[in-house]
Amino acid sequence: MTTLAPTVPGTASARPGRTTVHPVTFPRVVAAEWIKFRTVRSTVWTILVTVVAMVGINTLIAWGMSMAPAEAQGGPGTTSVVTLLSSGVTMAQLVVAVLGVLTVTTEYTTGMVRSSFAAVPRRLPTLAAKAIVLAAVTLVVSLVSMALSYVTTLPFHDALGATLDLSDGETLRMALGLPLYLVAVALLGLGFGALLRSSAGAIATVVGLLLVVENVFMLVPLRLFEVVSPFLPATAGARIMYDETMLTMIDTMSEGAVLTPWQGYGVMVAWVVVLLGAAAVLLRRRDA
Amino acid sequence: MIEAQGLTKRYGSKTAVDGMTFTVQPGKVTGFLGPNGAGKSTTMRMVVGLDRPTAGTVTVNGRRYAEHRAPLQEVGALLDAKAVHTGRTAQNHLLAMAATHGIGRRRVDEVIEMTGLGPVARKRVGGFSLGMGQRLGIASAMLGDPATLILDEPVNGLDPEGVLWVRNLVKYLAGQGRTVFLSSHLMSEMAVTADHVVVVGRGRLLADAPVQEIVGLAAGTTVRVRSPQASALEELLRRQGLAVTSTELGLLEVTGGTAPAIGDAAAAAGIALHELTPVHGSLEDAYLQLTADDVEFHADPSAAGRPALAAAGAPEPTLSSGATAPTTEGALR
Repeated sequence: MTTLAPTVPGTASARPGRTTVHPVTFPRVVAAEWIKFRTVRSTVWTILVTVVAMVGINTLIAWGMSMAPAEAQGGPGTTSVVTLLSSGVTMAQLVVAVLGVLTVTTEYTTGMVRSSFAAVPRRLPTLAAKAIVLAAVTLVVSLVSMALSYVTTLPFHDALGATLDLSDGETLRMALGLPLYLVAVALLGLGFGALLRSSAGAIATVVGLLLVVENVFMLVPLRLFEVVSPFLPATAGARIMYDETMLTMIDTMSEGAVLTPWQGYGVMVAWVVVLLGAAAVLLRRRDA
Repeated sequence: MIEAQGLTKRYGSKTAVDGMTFTVQPGKVTGFLGPNGAGKSTTMRMVVGLDRPTAGTVTVNGRRYAEHRAPLQEVGALLDAKAVHTGRTAQNHLLAMAATHGIGRRRVDEVIEMTGLGPVARKRVGGFSLGMGQRLGIASAMLGDPATLILDEPVNGLDPEGVLWVRNLVKYLAGQGRTVFLSSHLMSEMAVTADHVVVVGRGRLLADAPVQEIVGLAAGTTVRVRSPQASALEELLRRQGLAVTSTELGLLEVTGGTAPAIGDAAAAAGIALHELTPVHGSLEDAYLQLTADDVEFHADPSAAGRPALAAAGAPEPTLSSGATAPTTEGALR
């Protein structure tokens, strides 16, 4: 239908036929989502806050521990450096969850979603691409934060008798666990964001779940809560970051099922999959 | 080419679009005209798959929009000037859109240049005026060099120069053989831009015809008559069943008769005429007649400023699909 025509003066134009347009492919959608992600200030700020929160809190806590009397530290040589790197996770997970929510809800609040879905009318590639970009960014941010934290806590390693031995299975699992956990939290945020399409609603939901609901279930001694609690996403998923001492401590307080660290993480991934699955179904059905 | 077949959209009990069937042909500018709330935007959103039709189908260039491999090459749409993340710059917005279709930076610069966005391309969209937002919307629509353009109220918020630019652009694009589908509630704009008009009211198709044909509906229905014996003439014409209004002393607006018939009647009665002018109907008149019963939000009729219509004893606008049937041919013979 496009006919060749000379450039029209005044409209500085169009030049049909000379623009190369390619079919939409998944890598192209990922590329577009990456551009979208990095060209908005809020995401850049959120990432900086995550790094600062993780590194700052890790450093402060390591410093605080090194000040404590030796007998309270559980003896020399028992601490893994990895535990020092994950103190900031409680704070970081909130920021990362909000990042996940905003990645999708700002599209709806600004109307951008209509442009996005006009370009990719099948819609699902957009959601999947968002998830991939978000997961990759969270992964990198977590790893960078851990590396920086390693450096900043270095002065306290000796005082705490902390060692790092990545050939040790548990240490390796914990070291991988931190970024994996944060990625899952970010995707949880993305899932709630895509389902609820409202920034305020989705942030309230995911932060409420992580901070309030899960703690209430863990602390209130109702039978129902005791049974459900181990299967709530963060409660289950966080196990992958804990050492044996911590896991034993948690399990003696819990009346419910006891999951292995990887089972726990699997439960969290299941939550993410279900949420994103539901979001995907609604994404196809709902008007944009 | 856009083909809608029985296109229907219901929101709960409210029917926004009611069984619309129409075709938008390539090579001309097709106007989509209707009062606010008539279902224009909903129809356009359904064309590009943003809203799911409750019933019916709509295809673009022979396929549902979502089935195209490179949708931006098929259809460029300006649906909502603010369909942009406010925190992103215009250039980055376009680059992100372009990336989905592997469109290069050169084309992005080209559409920025073409829409005159150069000076603000690196500014965040949140600070844009309505006019700049429209230009960005048009730039996004042009990105994929599409065969079909859908523009929802493109001149909204544009300054006169911008309006002229859009007018020339759409005519030029249609001249290249592209399909241009353009909505507006501004008849004056449509009258000079569109070749063909689809008129809707309350979600229903009222007319689908060339502009000239639509204008013809309203033409010749009113005759302006000036006479020193106006009151006598008024009485004479009223007795013949014509509607007569008078806006100033000695000047009558007669509806329902033709100029020759009125002139003959006056001559027969020995009444002198100083002016006898058939008032040419405009697209606006035709549009108001068509949509008279279909305006979603009625203003106070006395304030609506359409005396000609009020007096017209308006012919029932029962035409559809190009079947024009003006029924107000000379009642006076």
